[in-house]
Amino acid sequence: MAEKKRKERDEGNRGRPKKSKKKQNTQRKKSGPRLPSSLRKQLDRLNPTTSLDTIDSDDNNDVYEYEEEQAEEESTKNKRYDPASVHDDLSQEFEDEDVQSDDENEDDDYVRAKNNESDLSEDSGEEDDGRHARMLQGITGMPGEAFEENKKKMKDTVIPELYPESEYNPSRDVVDGDGRISIEDLLNPLRENPGYGKLRKRMQQIEMNARTVHAPLSKAVQAKVERKAAYEISKKDVTKWQHIIQKNREAPTVFFDENVDLGFSTVGAMAADFEPRTEFEKKIAALVNDDKIAEAYRSDGSRLLEMNKVSIEDEKDRQNRMAKMRSLLFRHEMKAKYIKKIKSRTFHRLLKKDRLKAEASQIQMDPEAAKEYAMKQERQRAEERMTLRHKNQNRWAKRILQRGLNSQDEGTRTAIAEQLQRHTELTRKMHSMNDSSSSSDDISDEDDGEKSAGSDQDRAYKLLGKAKEKTMEVLEEEDEVPKSGLLSLPFMRRGLEKRKEVAIEEANLALREYDDSLKNLENSGGPEDPKAASTSGRRVFGMAKAKVSATSNKVKSDKFYGGSDSEDDLGTGKSDNIENGGSELVHKDVTNDLVLIQEDTDTHQDSVFKNFEEIIKNPGPKTTYEVSIFASDTWKKAKNRNEEDKNIKKSTKVTRPVRQHIKDTEKESREEDSDTDSEGQMVDGILSSVSKESYELPSQEELIRQAFAGDDVEDDFERDKQEILNEENPEPEKPLSLPGWGQWTHVQQKKGPSPWMLKKHEDAKIKREEDLKKRKDAQLKNVIISEKIDKKAEKLHTKALPFPFTSKEVFEQSMRVPIGPEFNPATAIGALNRPEVVKRPGVIIKPIEFEDVNPHEKQEQRSGEKQKSKKNKGIGGKPMKKTNKLKAKN
Amino acid sequence: MGTSICSICKGFILVSSSLRRPACSVVAVFASLRCVELPHSTASLCSTFCRIPTSVFSVPSSKEIEATPSRDKMGDTQENDALPRNNPSTEQEIADELDLRMKKYLRGEVANLEVLKDKKLKTQLAVKEELYGKSAKAAAKAEKWLMPSEGGYLEAEGMEKTWRIKQEAIAREVDISSSRKQYDIVLPELGPYTLDFTSSGRYMAVGGRKGHLGIVDMMNLSLIRELQVRETVRDVVFLHNELFFAAAQKKYTYIYNREGTELHCLKEHGPVSRLQFLKNHFLLASINKFGQLHYQDVTMGTMVANFRTGLGRTDVMQVNPFNGVVSLGHSAGTVTMWKPTSSAPIVKMLCHHGPVSALAFHSNGHLMATAGKDKKVKLWDLRKFEVLQTFPGHANTLDFSQKGLLACGNGSLVKVLRDASGTQNYSKYMAHSMVKGYQIGKLVFRPYEDVLGIGHSMGWSSILIPGAGEPNFDSWVANPFETSKQRREKEIRSLLDKLPPETIMLDPSKIGTVKPTRRDKATKQEREAEMEAAVEAAKGKKLKNKTKGRNKAGKRVQKKQEAIARVKRPYLDQNLQEEENISRKKQKASEGVQLPKSLQRFARKKASS
Repeated sequence: MAEKKRKERDEGNRGRPKKSKKKQNTQRKKSGPRLPSSLRKQLDRLNPTTSLDTIDSDDNNDVYEYEEEQAEEESTKNKRYDPASVHDDLSQEFEDEDVQSDDENEDDDYVRAKNNESDLSEDSGEEDDGRHARMLQGITGMPGEAFEENKKKMKDTVIPELYPESEYNPSRDVVDGDGRISIEDLLNPLRENPGYGKLRKRMQQIEMNARTVHAPLSKAVQAKVERKAAYEISKKDVTKWQHIIQKNREAPTVFFDENVDLGFSTVGAMAADFEPRTEFEKKIAALVNDDKIAEAYRSDGSRLLEMNKVSIEDEKDRQNRMAKMRSLLFRHEMKAKYIKKIKSRTFHRLLKKDRLKAEASQIQMDPEAAKEYAMKQERQRAEERMTLRHKNQNRWAKRILQRGLNSQDEGTRTAIAEQLQRHTELTRKMHSMNDSSSSSDDISDEDDGEKSAGSDQDRAYKLLGKAKEKTMEVLEEEDEVPKSGLLSLPFMRRGLEKRKEVAIEEANLALREYDDSLKNLENSGGPEDPKAASTSGRRVFGMAKAKVSATSNKVKSDKFYGGSDSEDDLGTGKSDNIENGGSELVHKDVTNDLVLIQEDTDTHQDSVFKNFEEIIKNPGPKTTYEVSIFASDTWKKAKNRNEEDKNIKKSTKVTRPVRQHIKDTEKESREEDSDTDSEGQMVDGILSSVSKESYELPSQEELIRQAFAGDDVEDDFERDKQEILNEENPEPEKPLSLPGWGQWTHVQQKKGPSPWMLKKHEDAKIKREEDLKKRKDAQLKNVIISEKIDKKAEKLHTKALPFPFTSKEVFEQSMRVPIGPEFNPATAIGALNRPEVVKRPGVIIKPIEFEDVNPHEKQEQRSGEKQKSKKNKGIGGKPMKKTNKLKAKN
Repeated sequence: MGTSICSICKGFILVSSSLRRPACSVVAVFASLRCVELPHSTASLCSTFCRIPTSVFSVPSSKEIEATPSRDKMGDTQENDALPRNNPSTEQEIADELDLRMKKYLRGEVANLEVLKDKKLKTQLAVKEELYGKSAKAAAKAEKWLMPSEGGYLEAEGMEKTWRIKQEAIAREVDISSSRKQYDIVLPELGPYTLDFTSSGRYMAVGGRKGHLGIVDMMNLSLIRELQVRETVRDVVFLHNELFFAAAQKKYTYIYNREGTELHCLKEHGPVSRLQFLKNHFLLASINKFGQLHYQDVTMGTMVANFRTGLGRTDVMQVNPFNGVVSLGHSAGTVTMWKPTSSAPIVKMLCHHGPVSALAFHSNGHLMATAGKDKKVKLWDLRKFEVLQTFPGHANTLDFSQKGLLACGNGSLVKVLRDASGTQNYSKYMAHSMVKGYQIGKLVFRPYEDVLGIGHSMGWSSILIPGAGEPNFDSWVANPFETSKQRREKEIRSLLDKLPPETIMLDPSKIGTVKPTRRDKATKQEREAEMEAAVEAAKGKKLKNKTKGRNKAGKRVQKKQEAIARVKRPYLDQNLQEEENISRKKQKASEGVQLPKSLQRFARKKASS
């Protein structure tokens, strides 16, 4: 851009008449004596201030200028410019001119005035020049005339062109002459020529007609204008598509089912028509289609096959072998499976014994195997001894134990637990090694029951004895009370004592128990009754169970008491007491519990029970039951009401329908009888007999009864309706103050329910009333329409309005007409159910093409096309062979 | 089926329907009697089918009878149109007629599209509506030009009354094939009979109380199969086609095929008193002695629903053909309507003061007829649940024909009511009395025929009721001339189109609409309450204790107030918006009212000030 501008300026410059020749001259003068260019350059380098001076003067001189231009060219920063040309005044000059060329006419005067000013300054410039000359004189010692002359001479001398003529290096005459060349200057030499007059006239004419050119707009505005113009054009270009697009948008279906030959339909067809194009493809094709290669391949293949020949015998052998192996494998597998399935312990034990025996025999037979076995054992043992991880003997474990397990974190605790487990495992192993004989005993015990009972008894006896001894020991043992530390404090001591007492009591109890059980054992053992013997084993178990139950009960009782007096510290102790109290106490607890529960229920559900009682007390439940199967609702209800009201009058009334229904039942039974009768008849094969009693005309009495049977039907119905209303729109609960809830003292009770509760209740009541009014059956006295929402049917409704719709009514209106084939004539179904886009598979959808569409006639055309397509569909049943709309119009 | 003229027929009784009448003293014994002996029937049974040529009867006064039997009588020349036949010259008339018919197919008003703001939707809907219009037009045209037969009724002249016209008189006037449809079958031993027709009217199932079951092809009046189950049969009903039928027997319900082979024993239903089959849903509904309502899917065999009505025993049960809702009549005079997806009745209405004795539904689903022991027959509008009409008299059985005639049977008398004016104002149309002593048990109109089947204590009969049946049948819906192949295809199609039981609801047109909500908007009071609650919550919130300097009481109060204001704000905004809306509406309304020109400037001034 900048270059362009510069050029423009250049051109303006050239064609411009020079107005300030004088100024140029003077400025030239100040350059001082004529020096060779090399010298000048040197000089410039030595004192750049001169150039700076010139710049300053320029600034004074300048009227208008493009600042940036000036800066670029005059500042020496940019070395692109020739310094000489830069300092040349021409640039300034043309800047001035430039402004003038762009001229606003008003400015002209101003410019002229400025020029005058500059003239004045030129005078001072001459003075300067004089001084300069004098200075030069002083320096060089040469007479001033020399300089003056030189200056004068300068006009005549021809300066060799060092640089090609350009805008930065203007031609000589421009530099030296009085500014610019005007047209008159050009014309003057032609004065003698014959066509001069004509030319002058023309020039004058041109000058007369000179028009002013407006200043270019600012960049932004210009761009805006350009954009606007561009927008107009593009708008015009785009709007022509509008009709097409609108048409396509509004079309219920867009067709892309041009009748285009799609070419190949199968892979095979495509492959058949393949032609190699690239080098590679050609190579491959040549290889594939080469006859020689194919031939070779064929022959080679056959030869290969020949090579592969295997004799029939070999193959048979192989097959046989394989079959044998397979069958063996199969058998083995089956056997393994079979063995695995066997659940008999003895079998497995025998099996194991066998295996061990085999191993032992091997060890005995084979010294090496024995050695190996011994080595293995030793190694195992060594490993175990080496690690000793299972014993809490290493430093880490000791330390942790010292600190207390509870203060440890989860990981260490688990580690310790692991250790302990390992220890128990190992010890168990040891014990088992020791008790191997006894375990075998056990096994044998299992085999015969009697023996086991005896041994069990023995064991129990022993155990009990041991336990007794131990408890005795504990009882006799005197605790040494620590004299110092925490435990020596008086309250701790007291606690300890208490605990001890408890323990003693416990021990006593246990002792008593042991005694009892021992006695029992003795008793059972005494008579040697086979039954007793058989049960004795169980008895032990029973005891165990009792214990278990006791513990479980203990927990219960814990809870129970905990609930009652949880604040008491002694509570736990008490509970402990009770724990140890044994089964009797537990029993009591249970009973207590029961009683309590009963009491609770009594207090809470008194009414319920009473109701039940009433029901039970009510006379004649039998009859109700019998009749109820056949009884109508009315009767039942009548009875209910009767119960409620205890109204004797009504009861008489009630009895009537009862009687009737009983009669009905009788009738029914008679019917059934007749049925059975007829059956019998049919079995007998007699069919001619006519049923006699079945079709009698109803008697008057019956008619009357029938007429009055449903006398209170309406009341019943109303009650029914009320019930259902209550069920579907339940009445709000009365404001209830729960005992202990929201009451600190009895203030609440005195005040009654709080106002917000009352308000809530009122609101709920009002809401219910409104809901009832909104019901469909609100105005219909004799109709109940259920308002229950059918959850299963909910899936048949849309959850929310589908998108483009905003009102429910419009949506439902649009859905009112079914579009299925059952509801519409065959001619209309296609149009009703056509998809938005009709496209044959394989058709390529081309980009839209422009065409002239008349927006007013399009609808008719569309409908016509639709009909056409419909016809096509109806008749052929083939995919529509319709040309694309766009194409058709083109 | 091998049929032969039976020479070994034992005593059978032929009774013409006019036997009772003293005027007609002629009792005809017919020479041309066709007895059908069935090779597979039990030895003890020989059923007889007889067709009585009506020409034998002498009718006392010659009347001009205009009867229009239905369409299968192609050569019917007597047909006289009730509607004016179009003259070819009057195109306008045709257009008007088409418009009238179009309305039916448009199914209601076109939505007001002008209300819509969404232009796109508007155009879409407009296109749709246009298509609907086209479809309706095509349908109307098809109806006009492709349905050749038109129904007609008996029309009386002068002093004549249609209900005085006897069956014999009708028979004399109609063609032979139609007159053959009048007959009585007398089977006195096996008790009162109940009937059921297939949807096409081609086949009839009969069930004698004492165990006689049979299927009859009504086209040629041949017995396809009969069997004796030797126990009480309370009801018979065809399943989706004539191949299967269900019989409610003494203890259980059984399903038999056409050959009489027992296919299923439905023990779960218990001792059923009445059966109904829902064609579109393939559900067999039954009400048993204990008042339990069962729905069983006959395709899969699953028990879809099992409800205890708790309203006692009943044997009044009818399906509303429009929506599949099963209605029960109870001894307390109530009628309850049930669907398989809710255990409580969807509607319970008190119809009579005595027990309900019969129920029937019009095929359009809007009309219900009930009869009670309180000597009343009532017509109900089911859209409003209101009584339309009340007739005095008992009725043991009721039935609506396809064209909307209502038949009431009581004792040995049949009465047919007709909606002559088309305003649901029923009046007496025809009457027929059976032989005295016959107790009518069941009345069923035969579909696509002007025939009323009567099951009574001495067998069954069939009489002609002109204008009862739909004259044109749609072979896609029900085809009386169905071939076996067509039947098979239809079976498959109907199975594919089977509706799930959830689709049974009072108004099936609501399917696909927006889910009904309990409550659409919170009322103003509720909103206020909500706001108050929120404010309370904000008040109750404890402010944090700030550091020493910042814990000023004034600041705390300010903060609290701010919090309350913040909570209140959305509610207030909502209120404001609503008020604005209301005011806007008001403005619109006021704008809508145009002032006279002379006053308009004042109005403007007001608005500005």
